[in-house]
This record gives sequence, structure tokens and C-alpha cells, in this order.
Amino acid sequence: MSAPLAYIVDDDEAIRDALTWLFRTRNVSSRAWASAEAFLTDWQAEWRGCVVLDIRMHEMSGLECFDALLARGNLLPVIFLTGHGDVPMAVGALKKGAFDFLEKPFDDNALVDVVLRALDNDARRHASEETQACVTSRLAQLTPREQEVMNLVLAGKFNKVIADALNISMRTVEVHRARVFEKMGVRSAVELAQLLAPGRD
Amino acid sequence: MAGTPLQSDKSTSTSVILNPLPPSSPSTPPPGWYWSLPYAAMALFIATMAALLWLTYRQDTEEQRATLINDVLWMEQNLSFQFDRNSSQLSQLGPALLSGRTLDSTTAARLKNALDADTGLIRILWLNQDGAVLGAGPPYTDSHLVGEAAGTFPSSSAYRLARSMGRPVYSDAYAVIDNQTQFEAHIPVFDGGRYLGSVVGVYSLNSLLSRQVPWWFSERYRVAVTNTAGTEVAAKSKVSPLSSLNYEMALEPPGHGLTLSITAYKNEVRWIPLLLMGSLGVLATAIVWSLWQLRRHMQRRQAAEQALRAEHAFRKAMEDSLNTGMRARDLKGRITYVNPAFCRMVGWSAEELVGRHPPMPYWAPESLEQTLAVHEMVLKGNAPVQGIEVRLMRRNGERFDALMIEAPLIDSDGKHIGWMGSMVDVTEQNKAQELARQQQERLQATARLVTMGEMASTLAHELNQPLAAISSYNTGCINLIEQGQLPRQELLGILAKIGKQAQRAGQIIRRVHAFVRRSEPKFEPVDLNTILREAVGLVEADAQRQGVSIGLDLASPLPPVAADPVMIEQVAVNLIRNGMDAMANTPRAERQVSLRTRHQDGMLVFSVADRGRGIPPEVAGKLFAPFFTTKEEGMGMGLNICRSIAELHRGRLSFEAHPAGGTIFNFSLPIAP
Repeated sequence: MSAPLAYIVDDDEAIRDALTWLFRTRNVSSRAWASAEAFLTDWQAEWRGCVVLDIRMHEMSGLECFDALLARGNLLPVIFLTGHGDVPMAVGALKKGAFDFLEKPFDDNALVDVVLRALDNDARRHASEETQACVTSRLAQLTPREQEVMNLVLAGKFNKVIADALNISMRTVEVHRARVFEKMGVRSAVELAQLLAPGRD
Repeated sequence: MAGTPLQSDKSTSTSVILNPLPPSSPSTPPPGWYWSLPYAAMALFIATMAALLWLTYRQDTEEQRATLINDVLWMEQNLSFQFDRNSSQLSQLGPALLSGRTLDSTTAARLKNALDADTGLIRILWLNQDGAVLGAGPPYTDSHLVGEAAGTFPSSSAYRLARSMGRPVYSDAYAVIDNQTQFEAHIPVFDGGRYLGSVVGVYSLNSLLSRQVPWWFSERYRVAVTNTAGTEVAAKSKVSPLSSLNYEMALEPPGHGLTLSITAYKNEVRWIPLLLMGSLGVLATAIVWSLWQLRRHMQRRQAAEQALRAEHAFRKAMEDSLNTGMRARDLKGRITYVNPAFCRMVGWSAEELVGRHPPMPYWAPESLEQTLAVHEMVLKGNAPVQGIEVRLMRRNGERFDALMIEAPLIDSDGKHIGWMGSMVDVTEQNKAQELARQQQERLQATARLVTMGEMASTLAHELNQPLAAISSYNTGCINLIEQGQLPRQELLGILAKIGKQAQRAGQIIRRVHAFVRRSEPKFEPVDLNTILREAVGLVEADAQRQGVSIGLDLASPLPPVAADPVMIEQVAVNLIRNGMDAMANTPRAERQVSLRTRHQDGMLVFSVADRGRGIPPEVAGKLFAPFFTTKEEGMGMGLNICRSIAELHRGRLSFEAHPAGGTIFNFSLPIAP
């Protein structure tokens, strides 16, 4: 896993240099590319951080680059830098899932703030992804009977009801329940529900 | 020349009738009996003439016959008179002859007198009471008697009859030799009731005829005597007559079967009726012939008329279907003919137009002088062959452009009697052209706009780059200083970079400036009035289309100014166009742009005044700002450029409200030192 970075894509060398310098003064590591093509060539799915993309570039435009990234399943937040008159394009990009856009000339520290937010966002996404992977691996350890019991527990049924529904004794239900809690690493039904609750932001 | 009166002719102009045929008169063909009427009249005439002729002939014959009868009666009268006279002469001679004495001289003379050839007597016998011949003068023999008559001379039956009746009795006629016929008249002589004897006068019929028929009678008639057997016994002439006109009567008193036949030699030819008849016949023939000729002529004429009518209808249809207006004028300019298309075009009817003198009702009042000039040119025969465009007016006041092509009108004698003009409404065509031109202009404007927009955008982007870089470096520096860090070496490097980027921005601006420099003004001494006239020439067509008149009030002479003529012209055109556009809602009659030049305080000022809606105060402030416009299709650069040009020339562009409504733009230029 690589460290989170701000990936700057701009065809103007001065801008790249200035932004790199600016980010460094706010303790944001960055890496710059002179063209969208070069960036796409180097792009890795496991990269973490955010992309700062200039819309108007000589070869491939920022929007085209964004579309290419979407097609590859990129999850990095993308921040657009737009010139005069490019706002409608940038809005279109926002609707497609871009993180934010800033119109030139912009307040540089505002840009850094946006970048920081994006980095934090990306970090949280990663954390959630990791939790999800952990839950999945724990669920895989449950036996089919334990899974049935767990589903009924999550539905809020009492042990007695579960025993009737599965045609087993209450004692057996209690054993299964204890196993599920143990395997899932929780202490109560409430914690279990929180762990499995879908749609974390 | 525009003021020349054209209505100078006082009915001296020759009227040209171009439409001799009544427009499709419903001529019904004559009925079937139409042509038989003169023939019937002719036949009736000839029958009447024949009847008249026949009647004349009849009357003539009757007349001849009456004359004949008259003459015959006269003849008979004459004969019987002669017989009576002879009888009385013989009865007077009787006593002397029968006295038995020798004839005395008196008696002899009287006897001789009685035997005169004129009396018709050839011999006189005197007989006694017993019938014996006592004497005769001249003496006679029987030798001349022929046939059965021999021995019966003198006739005893007549003698006895006369003696017993006591009055003269005539004997039968009898032939004698020499083909003569004789008869006797027995006259008994009494002396106091005593019969003394008879005196017998012997007549020769031939002699009687030849003597008693006068010359004029025998000239006209053949007189013959026939006996009971129908044999001709005596005749005045041997020539047999040609005519059938004859009259027969008993020869009395001799009688006894003798018939007097009188035949006219020939009918009297009556020349006058004959001539009359002949001439009538000739005339009738002539009439029939001329009638026939007339009919042929009429038929030919009718055929010609029919052809002419068909031709006329054809022409009329052609003329009616034409979309081109046709108008004929005489040499004085009076309208003599217009076709329906022309009437449709101008909206006046043919009746209202024909006979009109200029100015015509369809001439647009605002271009009256120009139209009149064209009119004069046409009348002088100087009209351009390719036609001339004039602005005309419909009856409803609508203006339209017409292309007129004129050609001389030559009559059948080869005389030049006027001008025929064809007129095509080219308004739509002009509109289309105008539209195309406008579209082209708009396209160019759009293209310019796009180019300008692109340029502006590029410029903005280009300038943004170094500025953004400077800003970023700057913010970074501030960040470090705020954090209390002062990495001297690093900050120096960054500041150098900032300076580099600032230079880069300056270079971009210099590049733009160099680009703009390409249209720097070229100053030269110019006459402002000349430039303005040229500018007016450029917008005149537009002004006419929009119904705007351009008034010029130029101070002259003006000192020359140092200026770029093209730029000044551009300003003038721009200001005039703006003025015209401002008057789009102004009534047509008031649309006027007034141009004025004056020399004022060491400056030359030209002002452009319109009568438009004026400039509202909220607009006035932004008027010269770039990309500000009140027009739908405007770019908002016109006045901006104008002011830039004014500034380039060290002049001024200002505006004020027109006292009478509208706006006045003043453009001032310093006079060259």
C-alpha cells in the first residue's frame, strides 16, 4: 500500500512547480504529471490520495482523463481546476462523481483545504473498505446453522422463538448464538447489528 | 430638370388607340336566312321586272292593235264614202245617159270625171228598162271576161235586184283576165217614179285597192281581199308581211263573201322600253354579281375578323397571364395602355391610369424627383437597355422596387409614337438579396465574434497560468512565514520563480499589444466633408431601404485634419447606422439622420443626429463599454471602437439628447497644427 498523495496533472510546468511547493508548505505530499496521458499510464488502482486535474490541457483534456479514470474504476477523489468559461463542463463532471472544482484564479489555501478534505475522505473510505473485508472473512467462518441462527437474531427474535422456528431445543440455540458472537468478535446482538449494518458512508 | 412641367400639351397629342377591337364582343353569326334575303329580293325584283316587261309588251300590242283597228275603220270609212260618192255621181249621171240623146259635152266631161282613176271605177254602163246595154264608156268587149263569168256581164241578178229594190245593189265579184277581179254597182235611175234604167259602175278591185289605200296606210299594212274560198283575189302588195298582227273584215257594201284582210308589216319596235328592259337586265345581272362579290368579300372579311378575334383573344390571354407589367406611353409621357399585371402591381385600374400625365399616382412621393428624372430620360430615349430600377408605390402606400425596361413603340406606318415599358417587381428579389447579404454579414460577425471569443479565452487562459503560479508561490511563502519557518535559500528560489512568472505574464501582454498594433492609424491630412460624403454613399442603400433620409449640412471650407480616413469613415458609418437603427419605430416621414460639420474652438466637429427613441439614463453610463449592446444582433463593439478611434486621434466622442427627440453624437477632431 502506497502513502496518500496529491496527484497533480497540469501541462504548465510553473503551475505544477508552484502547486507542489504550495502543498509542501501545508505538509501535503504530492506528485506531478505534465499530461493526462502520462498520468493514466502510471495510474494504479491501489493508489490513495486525490487527483488535482486541470481541465484545459494541450493534448487530452482533464474531462477526458476523468472519463478514462471512471472507466478504469478509479475511486480517488478528483478535484478540477477550471479556467474562465469552463464552469458548465466542471458541473457536468461533478454530476458524474468528481469531488469538487475550483475556478481560476482561486484562493490557494482554499485549494489546499479541499485537497486535505479529499485526502481525509479517501482515508475513511479505505478504513471502511478494510472493516468490510474483515466482516466478510468472519462471516465465512460461520456454519450454515449458525448463519440461520444469526439471521434470526438480527431479525430481533427471542431464543425461544428461534428454537421453535428451527425445531431445535433452546439450549442448542444458546450454543449457536454464543458461537456466532465469538466468531464475529462481538459481545451483544446490538454490536452484531452495527457490524453488519450496510451503507457506511 | 426635375421641375420641368410635363403637362404642357393641350390636347394636341395624338391619341393612340392600341385596343381597336372591343374586348371579346359577343358577335352572333347571322341566321341562316340572312343570306337568302337578298336573293329573294333579287328574285322578286326580277319577277316584277318581267311582269312589268310583259305588261308593257301587252300594252304595246294592244296599242298596236287599236291603231290597226283605228286605221282599218278609217279605211272602211274611206271606202264606203268613196262608194257612196260614186253611187251618187252615177245616179246623177243616170238621167242624162238614159235620155237616149247623144251625150253632150257636159255629160261626157262628167262621165270622164266619174271614170277618174281615183274613184276606183274602170267602166260605166247604162242599161235601159229591159236591161239592155245602151252604152258604155269606155266601150267594152267580153274579151276580158274569164271562166264562168263570161256571158254574165253585166250581172243580170244585180240588175234585177237593183230594179226591184230601187236602190243601188252590188254584184258578186268575178275574175277577169290579167288576174283582176271586178264587181259592179247597179244604180237604178228613176224619173218621177218611172224606172228609166240602171247605171252600172264597174269597179276593179285591184285598182280600187291601189287607188283608195293611201301611201301611209300601205306602208304600214298589207291590204288584201280574199274570197269565200280564202283565196286572195287582190292585194295592194305582193310582199307578205312578217307580223302576225292582222285584222279581217267583210268588204261592205260590195260584200258577197269578200273579206278585207289587213296585216301589219311589222310590229313597231319600241326602243325605249327595250332599252329600259335591257339596261334593267344588265343592272340586275350586275347587282347579282356584285352581291355575290360582296358576299365573298364579307365571308373573307368575316374569316379575317374571326382570325383577328382569335388572335386578339390569344394575345389577351397571353397579356393577362403575364406577370410582367406592361405600360405604353405616348411621346409626351401620357399613359396610353396598361396591362392587368401592371394594374395588379400598382393597385390602380386601367381606366384610372390611361390618359394620366406625370407625375403618376404610383410614384413614391419621397423619390418623386428621381422617378421624374428617369421618366425624362426614357422620353429622351436614353433609357439603359438593361433596364432601370425605380421605387414605386402601390395604392395602399406600400413601396416596391420595379425594374423597368423601355422600348420605342412603332406604329404600323413605322412612326415612332411612344414608349412601351415592361415592369418587373424586384422587391422580393431585392429583399432576398438583402437577406442574403445580412445573413452573410451576420455570419461574418459571428465568425468575428467566435474568433474574438476564442482569442479572449486563449488570452485569459494564457495570462491565468503565470498569475495562478505566482499566486500559488506567494501563498506557499505566506504559509511558511506564518508557520515561523524562514528557509532563506528556498524562499529566494521561490521569489525568483515568482519574478519569472511575472515576466512571462508581461510577455503575453506584449504579444497581444503587438497584435493590436497591426491596425495602427495612418495619419494624413484629410477633408472631413469628403470623408462624410463617402460614408453617406456607403449607407445610402440601407437608408433607402429603411426609409431614412440623410440630410447633410456641411460647413465649407473646412481646414484639413490629420486623421486616418478609413477610421474616420468607419466612425461616421457606425454613427449613421446606429442612428438609423434607433429610428426603427419612428414614423416613416420623420426618419431622418442629419449630418453636420462645424469648426469650433480649434476642433472640427461632426455631429450625427437621429430622431429615434433617445438614450435612457440607465444605458447612458454603459454606452461605450465593450460588449454592451441594445441591439439583438449587435456585438457591443461599435461605439467602443468609435471611442478608441477618437482617442487615437486625440479627439472626443460624446453624445447629447436631441431637443426634438432622439440623440446627437458629436465627434471632435483637433485641427492639425
